Amino acid sequence: MRQVLYICLILVTMLAAAGCQRGEKNSESRPTVALVMKTLNNPFFIDMQAGAESIADSMGINLLVQAAEREIDVEKQMQIIENLIQIKVDVICLTPSGAREIIPAIVKANKADIPVIIVDSRIDSALLAEAGGRIESFIGSDNFDGGRIAGEYIISKLSGAGHVAILEGIPGHETGDMRLAGFHKALESAPGIRVLSSQTANWERDQGFNVFQNMLQSYPDIRALFSCNDMMALGAIEAIAAAGKTDDIIVVGFDAVEDAREAIRQGTLAASVAQHPFEMGKLAIISARSLIDGRDIPAFLPVKIDLITVSNVGPARQ
Amino acid sequence: MKAFLLHNMRQFGTLIGLLVLCIVLWILTPHFLTVANLLNITQQTSINAVIAVGMTFVIITAGIDLSVGSIMAFAGVVLASAIEAGVPVPIALLIGLGVGMACGLINGVLISWGKLPPFISTLGMMSVARGAALLYTQGRPISGFSGDFRFLASGEILGIPNPVIIMIAVYLIAHFVLTRTKLGRYTYAIGGNEEASILSGINVRYYKTIVYGLCGMLSGLAAIILTARLNSAQPIAGIMYELDAIAATVIGGTSLMGGEGRIGGTLIGALIMGVLRNGLNLLGVSSFIQQTVIGSVIIIAVLIDMALKKQKS
Repeated sequence: MRQVLYICLILVTMLAAAGCQRGEKNSESRPTVALVMKTLNNPFFIDMQAGAESIADSMGINLLVQAAEREIDVEKQMQIIENLIQIKVDVICLTPSGAREIIPAIVKANKADIPVIIVDSRIDSALLAEAGGRIESFIGSDNFDGGRIAGEYIISKLSGAGHVAILEGIPGHETGDMRLAGFHKALESAPGIRVLSSQTANWERDQGFNVFQNMLQSYPDIRALFSCNDMMALGAIEAIAAAGKTDDIIVVGFDAVEDAREAIRQGTLAASVAQHPFEMGKLAIISARSLIDGRDIPAFLPVKIDLITVSNVGPARQ
Repeated sequence: MKAFLLHNMRQFGTLIGLLVLCIVLWILTPHFLTVANLLNITQQTSINAVIAVGMTFVIITAGIDLSVGSIMAFAGVVLASAIEAGVPVPIALLIGLGVGMACGLINGVLISWGKLPPFISTLGMMSVARGAALLYTQGRPISGFSGDFRFLASGEILGIPNPVIIMIAVYLIAHFVLTRTKLGRYTYAIGGNEEASILSGINVRYYKTIVYGLCGMLSGLAAIILTARLNSAQPIAGIMYELDAIAATVIGGTSLMGGEGRIGGTLIGALIMGVLRNGLNLLGVSSFIQQTVIGSVIIIAVLIDMALKKQKS
């Protein structure tokens, strides 16, 4: 029985330690804003968190950052929101894991009088209205637009003719679908461009390598690749290097994460579409503060989206 | 009394763990011990808890089922498409349970008659069912259902949310089946010693198949709760849920070697995981630390379990 006691003791200490790291939550007079993200296992969301943190203190806000373990786990994200409702945070800023699936959670927050700001990925507004929910604002850039920008870049690089391949994200994932749709939209204006193969590599680097290697086997004359995120693109450029075709294939990624910027500097990656998660995080907190102070905020706050190439990538971050 | 205590020691070990956890959280945050939050936790636990019941049966037979998350996704999208096509809700629910059960029975047949190790057979099914769900929906989630169906997750009876009622009913039935029926006794017997079970005339193949079918059906039931809760069925739902279910079962004192385990323990195991996730959210602990803590608790729970086991013998 003594062993059991010891083990319980360890458990208690561990929890208490975990509890302490929540920081100075005792500053009760400050309003609490929760930033609920899809995951923290992605540099994009780490940047968003950094943006929110950079400004929370000076805005007099107690910031609480939470995320599901896996990007696609909407149920876990819903649990997080339910739990935040219990501690009655003042505002919830949310990057929804599912455009429709998360709506019941938003409605629950509404019922508890907690305003919700959506960041980065859109939610299905028709379904939200039908469910009787409301959001205060959407802060983000348009993934569709990003896909279109990538498409236009590839069209101009290929002078309007050539064979291209696409690496898709996880099917049914709003973000990837929009990027893909935007890319296809751009290609409509260039009948000389043919998409030979479009397959998923599930957002992952190693799968990007394998899938694109297989594509190269079947279609050796691929001239350009659009990858719906940088991770898959980074995998693909390794496959291209292994095939000795680095100078023959134009690769465009999405997200402009630090690794991708480095690849752009080295010339293995042609371009990457950049959203600005740091900016999104910052704007989310500013908007939340406005809501708390009773000011109106715009229903849509666009965040710029642009293409990073060798001409504007800048020096490496120290 | 002493014999009773000793006999139920393992159960009490995990129950004490759960209570200690609750007390610590109660001290750390005022938001933990409220009726709303406790209902919240049980509701959040219900999906994992229902899957874990099937997992407990399977693990008691010394098997494992890695396909529960994928089966849940597949059953969910088939169910959702049935509702979308205008099939009456009760029939659609039966379809969802049926799809889950069919996948489970296939597992069972492969294991019993195909002589495949459960790990391999269900690993295959994990991929097959996931692929089937993606193929069936072309990767798109199916959303937007009638209030009747959503009531299954959003409604409540006497203040208790429906998913919790479903969960309690499942546990009562499962407890009855495991302790009072032939199927339950044979489940233990097969896990305890399969050879001996065959020699003593138990139709091991048949009962094993039933157990996997049951596990699949419960994944179908979890799919019903999840789909109603999210008002949407996603083909990519439930990735890694098998590990949560296995964790709940193991924390609850069921031995991976088979032959022993209790359904009540599994419920406590699932609740421990639910309470932990909830508590760490309430405390605003970083997501990175949350995973570490949850993992540590699984290890600690099994350590406690082993310590108690040693004491007993």
